[in-house]
Amino acid sequence: MNRKVLKRIKRRDRIARYVITVGGMAIIFSVILILFLIARVAFPLFQGARTEMVTQFPLPSSTPAVPLVAAGLDDYREHPFVFDRDGVVRFYSPHEGPVATELRLQPPVPSARVRSVERFAGLSFGVLWDDGSQTLEQVHFTSSFDEHGKREQDQQVVRLASFPPPLSGTVKLSLVRVSEDGRQTQVTLLNDGSLLVRQHVESEDLFGNLSAESHEFALSGQPDEEIAALALSGGGNTLYAGTDQGTLLRWDLSEPGAAELRDRLPAFPDRRAITVLALVFGDVSLAVGDAKGGVSTWFPVRVNAEEEGKHLQRIHTLTSHKSAVKSIYPSLRDKSLVSMDVEGVLHLDHMTSERHLLSIETDTPLLLSSLSPDGRGLFAVDASGMAHLWEVHNPHPEVSLKTLFGKVWYEGYDAPAYMWQSSAATDDFEPKMSLTPLIFGTIKGTFYAMLFAVPLAILGAIYTSQFGNPRLRGIVKPAVEVMAAIPSVIIGFLAALWFAPLLEKSVPALFVSLAFVPLFLLLAIVAWQFICKYPLCKKLDRGFEFLLLAPVLVAAVFCAIQLGPVAESMFFGGNFQLWLFGETGTRYDARNNIIIAFALGFAVIPIIFTMAEDALSNVPPSLKAASLALGASRWQTVWRVILPSGSPGIFAGTMIGFGRAIGETMIVLMATGNTAIMDWSIFNGMRPLSSNIAVEIPEAPVDGSLYRVLFLSAVILFVMTFVLNTVAELVRQRLRNKYGRF
Amino acid sequence: MSDTYSVTVTDPIVQVKDLSFYYGTAKALHNISLDFPKNMVTALIGPSGCGKSTLLRCLNRMNDLVDKARVEGSILLDGTEINTPAMDVIELRRRIGMVFQKSNPFPKTIYENVVYGLRIAGVRDKAVLDETVERSLRNAALWDEVKDRLHESALGMSGGQMQRLCIARAIAVNPEVVLMDEPCSALDPKSTARVEELISELREKYTIIIVTHNMQQAARVSDYTAFLYEGVMVEFGVTEALFVKPRHKQTEDYITGRFG
Repeated sequence: MNRKVLKRIKRRDRIARYVITVGGMAIIFSVILILFLIARVAFPLFQGARTEMVTQFPLPSSTPAVPLVAAGLDDYREHPFVFDRDGVVRFYSPHEGPVATELRLQPPVPSARVRSVERFAGLSFGVLWDDGSQTLEQVHFTSSFDEHGKREQDQQVVRLASFPPPLSGTVKLSLVRVSEDGRQTQVTLLNDGSLLVRQHVESEDLFGNLSAESHEFALSGQPDEEIAALALSGGGNTLYAGTDQGTLLRWDLSEPGAAELRDRLPAFPDRRAITVLALVFGDVSLAVGDAKGGVSTWFPVRVNAEEEGKHLQRIHTLTSHKSAVKSIYPSLRDKSLVSMDVEGVLHLDHMTSERHLLSIETDTPLLLSSLSPDGRGLFAVDASGMAHLWEVHNPHPEVSLKTLFGKVWYEGYDAPAYMWQSSAATDDFEPKMSLTPLIFGTIKGTFYAMLFAVPLAILGAIYTSQFGNPRLRGIVKPAVEVMAAIPSVIIGFLAALWFAPLLEKSVPALFVSLAFVPLFLLLAIVAWQFICKYPLCKKLDRGFEFLLLAPVLVAAVFCAIQLGPVAESMFFGGNFQLWLFGETGTRYDARNNIIIAFALGFAVIPIIFTMAEDALSNVPPSLKAASLALGASRWQTVWRVILPSGSPGIFAGTMIGFGRAIGETMIVLMATGNTAIMDWSIFNGMRPLSSNIAVEIPEAPVDGSLYRVLFLSAVILFVMTFVLNTVAELVRQRLRNKYGRF
Repeated sequence: MSDTYSVTVTDPIVQVKDLSFYYGTAKALHNISLDFPKNMVTALIGPSGCGKSTLLRCLNRMNDLVDKARVEGSILLDGTEINTPAMDVIELRRRIGMVFQKSNPFPKTIYENVVYGLRIAGVRDKAVLDETVERSLRNAALWDEVKDRLHESALGMSGGQMQRLCIARAIAVNPEVVLMDEPCSALDPKSTARVEELISELREKYTIIIVTHNMQQAARVSDYTAFLYEGVMVEFGVTEALFVKPRHKQTEDYITGRFG
């Protein structure tokens, strides 16, 4: 050969090798890149909270030093403020200078001083004066823009309610709440241990006349222990109390003028003292801080089904402090809690995920602290009069491995559960983001679809490649491949809007046909034994058996449909859905797993069929001939020689179909009903990972917890298919080594 | 056909009478009549495409598998017509075993390959199976080579061993006739010699009908030889006579190498 030609051949060979190598590497690289990009979005879910010091400044000390009683912070983290004992609210502007704006609260009697301040719901302050009277003050920030477009904040303190001192006794602790409909509630703990409730209720009768009534009564039922902490829900409907002997009490105050003791229970076996009570955002859970530094949350749970009413139960236990808990403030954005102990150490924990997000310990112990209403700012004052202002980055406190995959006891539930409910109508709801029901949904839908598709596809492939006439094969195979080209949205559409209503009416017919089809086939085979001796039948024998069987199948299904209503009235009392619910407690969902099995099965059958058919047709004819020449029947040949030899291909086809079923989105989105329940029943729907992503991603705020959890579920989906394909490939290699040289 | 030279056989086991075979409309065999003697080796020779393999495959009805194939005429096995719907093909193939041109062991162990015919017949008795494996492999002169690796894959054997395994597999079910379709064409001379030796030994128990391209082989192993040309049986006779003194011009031309 000419040297030039030889060189050219070699050069082309080299180029081809490079192109192929680069192409292959590029594919691997892009797959890894996709996984990396998805995982990168999901990754911040597992990062903890962190703080960034914004500023630190000494509080200008007044002379003589007046002790501070409360602290607060606005949403812009610009104006931290403190309440002092003189009733002065001092707003600082650390960005502009040490000068403070001062607002003086109007004392109820001249020269009264502030005894204590209870802060709740962000910027509301219940101020207890030393004469025993109480006022409810709310701090308002109003933003405006000056002519240069610069934002300016103006501060205001508004008094919402005012209660005079009780007629007798010395006030030890007092709480006040004003509900949205104007009902004012004050609960006062007197030095002698009695609890006094005062309510002002304004009501409007049918004619629009306003009437006001006041109630004043003492609570009963508290034990002979010293009450150490009180908490009152935002509307003043529920009162909680904790004693120094560890007894938790709960009263219902929702009926004006009346109180009902709902709970009185020892909170801890060791009867440690309760030091702080606070309501978690949403007013459902109660946070309890104790003398040993423990922080736990409680809410009322139905203990047993027979008993009316619910009782407080400890649900979550958060990270403990080293010393007694001094104060707990809930975040107003989520179910996070800021707790502080007597040593001045501050913890940030999330209730649902039980994640410990942050610990802050300064050189001098912290005295007062406050989260801004949006939870992104933290202001604290330490014992030396130094003020600290932090920015808090706490993007995904509610997500942990446990909330994603484990059972979590959500508010309002009677037991821990796997739940997916990412959003609700209210802001104070607890997001439930367990991926377990979604993974379950994916597995369940895929399992039933494969249960339907695999036998059908493989048996079909066996018949077409080994028993059917070659001309038949030439028609069937392309037809099935066209089936694969049907857009899945059409399959989903038909399944949801045509098949689901049809099936709802005729479930018993489906069951009858499950019995009738094999029965009719059996009868047909028995009948065939009698007539197969005639010469005409001999002609049909090879490859066209299905022509005889097709009418039998049609007849079986037709009879089943006709008998369906009869069976329904005979066995199911005339209504299958009611019977099912009555007998098994299973609800019949219109979009259920039967629909999915058929629709998803319809989508994967062509894949499995085509690959299995190819694999079986590619088994060397010499093997088939060898088996037949030894006197094996066609079925024995298929079972003992063709199937084992074709098994790598059949297996590969099944796995690719499986992967398609797992990742399939459109069909499950349209036909599953998307209810995230965990039930193996074929009459229930489910919510697979793929359709969950499709449903929720438009609603998920970018970089929010839901958004990232959806990306995480994408990673899981990716990993599931990846692991599946890898295992499938390994098994296929093994099978191929075992069964063939071809 | 008028210019067919044939001898009569005294003890025929398979009698072919006026057999014609069509692939669709193409006629592959033309009115062939031929008796195969019992416990003898009969060779079918002829140039490529002359129909010798087709004739062989008619004998155990392997041609049934061919689409649009059609048979006319009759084939009798021990006096029973095999080309009728009443004939049980499975039973027929049990009585007439076959060894193919290309060795085709199943992707199973050596042991399972040999007992395949018994397993499909429903034999489960381990002692019977073991006994059959040893007997068949001994008859196929393979026992000493493979007795230590009976449970290893048959695909790991050499080409000659595989072909002898196929022979062992065919004789494991004790057929009356063994059809061999160019059994040595893919083997090296040494393996061919082994197989030829084996054929000579097997003739005592079985009737062997062998298709071969190799005239020396036909001369070496067969008792009778039939020469086919373009679907027509030209000459059938005792091997020695046919090779030494062919009666037909075409036979002479073929065996002397003038064509083929």
